[in-house]
Amino acid sequence: MFRLSRLSLHQRLAGTALVLGSLAVVMPQPPAGRVTLDTAELARLVQTTEDHVRPRELADWILAGRSDYRLIDLRSQAEFAGYHIPGAENVPIAGLIDAGLPPNETLVLYSDGGIHAAQAWVLLRASGFRSVYSLLNGLDGWKEEVLFPVTPRSPTAEEARHFAAAVEVARHFGGAPRAADPTEGASTSTFTSVLAPPVASPGSSIAAPTLPSGAPRTSGSGAKPKKKEGC
Amino acid sequence: MHAPFFKFGAFGDEVGLIWAFVLGIGFGFFLERAGFGSAKKLVSQFYLDDLAVFKVMFTAIVTAMLGTFFLSRAGLLDLALVYRTPTFWVPQVVGGLLLGIGFVVGGYCPGTSVASLATGRLDAAAYVSGIVLGTAGFALAFPALRGLFHAGSLGARSLPEALHLPVGVVVFLVVLMAVGGFVGAQALERRFARIHPERS
Repeated sequence: MFRLSRLSLHQRLAGTALVLGSLAVVMPQPPAGRVTLDTAELARLVQTTEDHVRPRELADWILAGRSDYRLIDLRSQAEFAGYHIPGAENVPIAGLIDAGLPPNETLVLYSDGGIHAAQAWVLLRASGFRSVYSLLNGLDGWKEEVLFPVTPRSPTAEEARHFAAAVEVARHFGGAPRAADPTEGASTSTFTSVLAPPVASPGSSIAAPTLPSGAPRTSGSGAKPKKKEGC
Repeated sequence: MHAPFFKFGAFGDEVGLIWAFVLGIGFGFFLERAGFGSAKKLVSQFYLDDLAVFKVMFTAIVTAMLGTFFLSRAGLLDLALVYRTPTFWVPQVVGGLLLGIGFVVGGYCPGTSVASLATGRLDAAAYVSGIVLGTAGFALAFPALRGLFHAGSLGARSLPEALHLPVGVVVFLVVLMAVGGFVGAQALERRFARIHPERS
């Protein structure tokens, strides 16, 4: 007859693990779709700026060929067709929740400015997505920081080195450096007028460079075909 | 109260550091109690005559897995908030091999070397110096290693996602694997203790 006391401690522990493991198989799944929204956690993420990615950081991710995130363009199809960040996929904000995005993947959201992406960030967090970021200042930030970096006036050696790297990145994405604005803090209209001339791509009539149509959907790989540009 | 406590705001960064210190001391204490402060004990693993490291580590994995599984099913732990290390399989394979070679040559892995240093062992001091120098060297060489660092990215994957199996089934399979591993380890130990009697 089976006697528990005849088993060694190791055997009893192994038996306990097997019983608990078997229980795990028959344990009912938790109800799907139930999400606890932790508002304090969201506020903390915003406060500590862990909710967004800087444009230059994103550019480095693309250049490094990272594929552990998905870049989501929240604008309309027409705007997306006009220009989008290499590797982005178009999911207009109205269809965001029903787009079937996987909740366990890292998503980086962007729109023209920062507002739609920030709102979409809250929507996705409330739907149980954990690893969501917005692109700081959206496409505006992308143009300003990545595509058309401002040439520093009388830079230090360190600044000059950073700027040279920024120009390299800008050229990779089809942009170019622009001169420092003599009227510091000038409006966007000045910014736009400065933007237009340096664009290298022939036939580009808008401020941002035009990408070849049918840019790859997968993040990271999209930048590669343009490597020849400007270098 | 729900876990993870830090993510639910039970304490902040500073208190979190205190907890990290307390848990780290506890980890080191139990490593030492298990005999893992000695390089001789640790390398016995590679002579296959004492597989205590394998058994202790696998026991810890199974205990933590069963604990997190049942706590999450009881609604006390939100697993979605628990950090998962993203998988970059290329650098992880390279790093794993490098760590394995270091383990065989030096007789320690990073955690046990620190626990051992705390007990005043000189070989552990040499090993920890190697870790510090290696870390600094990696940091300096990082621009050249950046491509390797990001290679083979699979995101934060879990076994249930990769195998398309329910979590409970994977839990059971890991328990089965552990129990099978323990039985196999006992058999290996008996066999190799006879081959290396001078080591016991």
